[in-house]
This record gives sequence, structure tokens and C-alpha cells, in this order.
Amino acid sequence: MSIAIAPQPARRLSATVRGVFTGVPPTVLLSFVIVAIVVLWALFPGLFTSYSAVLGNPAAKFEAPSALHWFGTDDLGRDEFARVVYGAGASVGTALVAVGIGLFAGGLIGLLAGFLGGWVDAVLGRLVDTLLAIPGFLLAVVVVTGLGFNTLNAAIATGVSSVAIFARLMRAEVLKVRHSVFVESSYLQGGSRGFVLFRHVLPNAYRSVLALAVLQLGSAIIVIAALAFLGYGSPPPASDWGLLIANGQNFATAPWLVYGPAIVIVLTVLSINRISRWLRKTS
Amino acid sequence: MTDIAVLVTDQLPGDAPGSWSRGRPYFVYALQRLGQAVVVILLAYVLSFVLITVLPGNAIATTLGNPQSGLSPAQVKNVESYYGVTKPVIVQLWLALSRFVRGQLGVSLVTHQTVSSLIGGALPYTLKLAGTALLVALILAAVIAYGSQYLPGKWARSVLRSAPSLFLSVPNFVIGLLLIHEFSFQLHLFDVLDPNSPVGTFFAALALAIPICAPLAEVLIANLDRESGQEYVLVARSRGLTQAKLFARHLVKPSMLPAVTIAALIVGELIGGAVITEEVFGRNGIGSVMYQAVSNQDTPVLQAIVALAAVVFVVVNLIADLVSPLLDPRVRLTAGGRREVATA
Repeated sequence: MSIAIAPQPARRLSATVRGVFTGVPPTVLLSFVIVAIVVLWALFPGLFTSYSAVLGNPAAKFEAPSALHWFGTDDLGRDEFARVVYGAGASVGTALVAVGIGLFAGGLIGLLAGFLGGWVDAVLGRLVDTLLAIPGFLLAVVVVTGLGFNTLNAAIATGVSSVAIFARLMRAEVLKVRHSVFVESSYLQGGSRGFVLFRHVLPNAYRSVLALAVLQLGSAIIVIAALAFLGYGSPPPASDWGLLIANGQNFATAPWLVYGPAIVIVLTVLSINRISRWLRKTS
Repeated sequence: MTDIAVLVTDQLPGDAPGSWSRGRPYFVYALQRLGQAVVVILLAYVLSFVLITVLPGNAIATTLGNPQSGLSPAQVKNVESYYGVTKPVIVQLWLALSRFVRGQLGVSLVTHQTVSSLIGGALPYTLKLAGTALLVALILAAVIAYGSQYLPGKWARSVLRSAPSLFLSVPNFVIGLLLIHEFSFQLHLFDVLDPNSPVGTFFAALALAIPICAPLAEVLIANLDRESGQEYVLVARSRGLTQAKLFARHLVKPSMLPAVTIAALIVGELIGGAVITEEVFGRNGIGSVMYQAVSNQDTPVLQAIVALAAVVFVVVNLIADLVSPLLDPRVRLTAGGRREVATA
């Protein structure tokens, strides 16, 4: 008996595992792996490198990439890979802050505009038009100038510059749901506004807003890197990826100082964009 | 900003919610859009004023208080009274706005030039860069879109199809540095010390064009996919049209309209990208003036550039909105005079 029963859970387990992974294209799986590694870098940088991100070995300046120093060493003999790993928090963690701000503020604006309509919609609509009228990167630069230069402010600035995009999408989604028949019938059956909001509007909107949030995460990483590159993030010895590239460009004979962090940025953003695309397709 | 292109490919103008308004005259719509554009430009100026002036660290006061500013006490007083620094913020805003409406952009706090002459001097360089970049981006996008449809070999087509998403994942300063490293340091095609030379301009424009062509190519590809499934294409092909003729005669035009609707998006990317590209290549232009203004907390210059960007953005958007109903009568004019899709 026991022999006959034993394989069953095992089969079930393998079936569940297959169930999770079938339908997910291999490139999406790879993207998840890359994003997971970067997130782990941001959380536990010490686990991924034995080198310090701040202290260098002056005897080992400008060493080309090798088994010892994967991304080579910089002008102060610091391990570039260690600097990239320790910079992940400031480069990717802050992008989460930026998207959080855009998602919350933009989502709220879009929700109010779409749900309340009337003059609220008109006023908020003009606000969104105005935010859209200033090119995103310029808006981020202006906000970070007003707040002062450091990485967190750069993230806030990036978040502010994405508020309008979230607001527009949320408003469109809310309008789409609000005029549908099932919402009408929900009102007729005595559903309150709050009930309709949480039971129908938000659950229907969240999928496409989530896909946009993931996509924005990718572009937030690029915008924050660009702000850091121009020197609007935290000053050295911070090792934001954009700052690493800005430092690397001064040394034409050591191109690995640019290529290392650049490849990490590109792979991270590419993976995030791939995941977003997949989310949009499956929704 | 990249997402807008993706969204546009999803909800095309024809799908925009709203009512038919065949009866409403075109010029009423045009007038409404014009009025909105003016309001948005003024609001953008107010917003940039609020962001720069009200946020912690009042730039004008800091710059004037700096003993190294090179201003005599009398000059400081002069500037202070011009900007109304000592007055309440709302009065400062009113002063700034009334000057802006009269076309006075103020005086740089650092170089003491008028802002309009500063911008006027830098504008030609940026226009040259942005114009070249736009041209390169259009060509690149067209090549990618055409190749993604007709290139022999499924593999080559799918590589081209994924090109836009790769381009969107590379920061444009990385592209710039890459181009400088390969084509200036290695191949000596241009001198980094003379970035305003024609070849230097071309490579700077290429760095700016690559991220910009991506949303354009995405929209074009999505539309070509849609249009080539239409029956008129089958009919044309059965009449014996070649691929190239079919593409040029029947597919380009219907795919153009969505490209027009993201024109404003592209202009925004061009302006934002120019700041970085000019810095990377060491070119003169609006971007480098802005970079200087940010480093020196030169508020009037910064604000004027933001206002200029908003004006360009809104005007391009307005033109796109006014032209597209003429290009395609299927585009619906919504009740409020706003097109839901193309306000990007």
C-alpha cells in the first residue's frame, strides 16, 4: 500500500513545479534570475565580494579584469566589481523608491480624477498636462536641484517625473471599469462608492498598473544613473552605477571601468523590461 | 518615458473613448486646443518656479549671499529688487510670471548676461544636434521596422524586433562613451577636442538617436503588423505588387499617424537627452548651459530653459493634435477637445 501511495505526492510536487515554469519563456526566467541577483547584491553586498568598496590597494591600480578582479581595479586600486555590488542598493533600491512615489502619487491622482470626474478631473487633468509638458529628465533635474544633490533626492526627483504617467494610466483604467455594465449593476444593487472602488475598480486596474510599475523601474534605474552620472547624486566615495561610469570615463586607458558598471545597468534594465513585457502579455 | 510608446501601440487613436463630433467645426477644436496649450505653458512656468524657489535652499538668496559672487552691494540690491527676493513668494511668482508673459527671461546670476542672449547663443548648436539626431532616429526606425517585416530569415527578423527593447535598456551616456571610445580613441574618426565638427556632431547625434528611435520603431513595427494583416494588403499583393512597392505605397502612410502622435514624446526625449549628450561629448548648447546653471544654482537660466522646453513640447504636441484629424478622418475629436492617446 505504502509503495503505491508514496509516488503520488512526488508526482504532484513535480507537476506543481512544472506548472509554475511551463508557460514562462526561458528568457523571462533568466531575467528573474538576473533581477534576483541584483536584489541580493543590494541587500547583502558582503556575501558577493570579499573586497571593500571604499578601501583600495594602491599597488594594484588600473588592473585589467582578471579572475582576481572581475571588473578590474580603478584609479585608487579598488575592486570595481565590489564597487558595483555595493552600489546596487543606491542604484536599484532608490529606483524602487522612485517607482513607489510615482505609483502612489500618480495612482491617487488618476484614481480621484477618473472616479470623481467633474471639476476634480478637470483640475487634476491640467496638473497632469503640466507635469507632462516638462520633459521627464528636465523635471527630475529641476526637482533634484531644488532638493539638493544626493541619491535619495535623485530618486524622489525621478519619482516626481513619473507621476503624470501613472496618473494617466490609472485614470484610463478607472474610466474603463467605471463605465462597464457590472459596475452599473453593482451600484444598482446598492454598492457604495467605496465598495465599487475596492471590489471592482482597483482589482481590474492593478494588472496594467503593475506592468507599468515594472517598466518604470527599468527607466528609473536609467534616470537615476544619468543623474548620478551628471553628479546630482551622492558624491564619492558613494558608488552609484552612474557615478562609477562618470569616474571611469576619465581614464581612457582603463575602459573596463566604464564597461563593467555599464553592462550591469544594461542587463538589469533589459531583464526588468523583459519581465514587464511578459506581464503585459499574460494580463 | 519609454512606456508611452508601448501604451500607444495598444490604444490607437481610433479606439480613443469619446463621442463622434462630426458636427463640431474643426476650428473650434483647434481654438480649444490652442487655449489649453497656452494654459499648460503658463502652468509649467509656475510649476518650475515653485519647484526651484519654494523647495529648501532658495537659490537666488544663496547665490547673492555668496561673497564670491563678484557683485557689489549695490548690484545685489538691484538684483534683489528685480526678482523681489525680499517680498512674499506669491509676489515673486507674480513678478516672474508677468515678466515671462512679456517675454523677459531675466539676467543670469553668474555670467550677468541676459538669459535670452545666453539661450540664443546656445540654441543653434542644440538645434543642429537635435535635428541630426531626429533624422538619424527616423532612418534607423524605418530600417528596423522594414527589416523586421521583410528580412530573409526568421532569426534576423526576431533580432531586429528585439533591437528597440535593447536600445531602451542602454543609458544614452553609455552609448556616447562607447562611441567616443571606439570611433575617436580607437579609429580616430573624430577628435573629442573638437566635438562641434561635422563628424563629431554625427556621432553625438547617433548617441542621442539610438534611444529615441526605439519607441518610434516599436510603434512602426506594431502598425506594420496590424496593417499587413488587413485585406487591402492581400488585394494589393494579388495585383502583383512587390514587397518594396507595397511597403512604400500602402503601408507607410497608415503607419505614419501613430508616429505623429508620439512626436511630442520624442521631442521630450531629445531635449532631456541633449543635456546628457552635450555633457558627454563636451559640446556647446542648451544642455551644457543648463548643466552650468544647475551647478551654479543659476535659477533664472534654469527656469527659462525649462520654460523653453515646455513651450517646444506643447507646440509640437499641439501641431500633432491639429494635424492628425486632417491626416486621418477616423480620429475622433472627443467631447472635451482632448485626445486621450496623443497627449503624451
